[in-house]
Amino acid sequence: MRCERARDLISPYLDDELGGRDRTALATHLAACAGCAVLALDLRRVAESIAKGGRQRVPATLLARLRASLAAAQRVEGQAPRSQRLPALAGVAWRASLVLAACALTACATWWLRSMAEGTKRLEHDVLAAHIRSLLQESPIAVAAADAHVVKPWFSGRLDFSPKVEDLSAAGFQLLGGRLDYVGDRRVGVLVYKRQLNTINVFVWPHGSGEERLPLLVSRKGYNLLRWTHRGLSYWAISDLSGGELRQLLGLL
Amino acid sequence: MSSPPGFEQLALQHLEAAYNLAFWLVRSRQDAEDVVQEAYLRALRAFAGFRGEDMRPWLLAIVRHTAYRWLNSRRNSSNVVSIEEAYAGHSERGAAELAAQEPDAEARLIGAAEQDYLLRALARLPAAFREVVVLREIEGLSYREIAAVTGSPIGTIMSRLSRGRRDLRKTLTELLAEDEPNAL
Repeated sequence: MRCERARDLISPYLDDELGGRDRTALATHLAACAGCAVLALDLRRVAESIAKGGRQRVPATLLARLRASLAAAQRVEGQAPRSQRLPALAGVAWRASLVLAACALTACATWWLRSMAEGTKRLEHDVLAAHIRSLLQESPIAVAAADAHVVKPWFSGRLDFSPKVEDLSAAGFQLLGGRLDYVGDRRVGVLVYKRQLNTINVFVWPHGSGEERLPLLVSRKGYNLLRWTHRGLSYWAISDLSGGELRQLLGLL
Repeated sequence: MSSPPGFEQLALQHLEAAYNLAFWLVRSRQDAEDVVQEAYLRALRAFAGFRGEDMRPWLLAIVRHTAYRWLNSRRNSSNVVSIEEAYAGHSERGAAELAAQEPDAEARLIGAAEQDYLLRALARLPAAFREVVVLREIEGLSYREIAAVTGSPIGTIMSRLSRGRRDLRKTLTELLAEDEPNAL
């Protein structure tokens, strides 16, 4: 084995990730070549040293903070089991912020209930119609994306806001491209993803009230429709994917 | 929507891994806390779609994604990350730990500051290499798990890890060489 090749294999060798023949060949080489053997020793020291010293201790306050925010988020969703006890060290500040969060969210819920009746029905109808229309046409996209860098500038000339455009192939959602559509009396951006054979249209427009809204999944005419807001934008994702699959987008977009 | 019972118990088990990955990506304790919190809230929302058996790679993928988004959003406002700041308090700890260690006769790369230097070098490594080194050395993930977290093929993981470690060794050797005149 040549040294050049050996140097590439030392790292997986040390990690026990090198298979059969390569492993044997490298071991033979290391026994014979002092230079590569030294490199192997050094790399092991580097690895061990980082393993030993690189670990950061989790700040004590972080656990309490996470418990509180998760509990608050779950309570808001309504059906959560009564939150786990807050650890004793969570101080007055946390309780106060919880109360505030709860108030804000109650206000949010009230507002949501009131506006739901008309506005939302109308939007649901528009989104559903636009989705079906896109499937009937030859192609659901006006700009195709080899990568996200093509789609974003395309939108920026056509919309008065700039949606985040990301290819999510790693998570199983391939970005096909984008187009414009007309929903709720306004021009909106549409990101089109594909998961296996299913097309997913994600409609995006600026969220009027500024309050973040919780994700909501509904079924309409056999399609699943998931909507949420994030950083001032409303997202409506629609597809014949299952609700569970569709919800994966939440963690990604 | 139902909020799945058990998320909190499951996810908090991996808090240390989540925090470490976030810290090494954003290189600041305060920001790492914010990233972890945002990632956990996202994970909670996405939990219903979680079908896997092992939660750790899934959760770490969300932490990683959140950290990169965070870095992107910061790129415009401030580009400077103070490594020294990220390491406040690190030197003392590193030195104390090293003092407790027996000197290793075989050691080629010795020196009281070795570990400290190495961690500084790690902080300077490009993120694509830094993240695989952290996931491997600190979290002990297998190549397959690292591939699941980063969404890259195993071959890529292998070569990034290999190059990352060699870069670290090179930087370390240089840093130690720089130090020598001062020591004399």
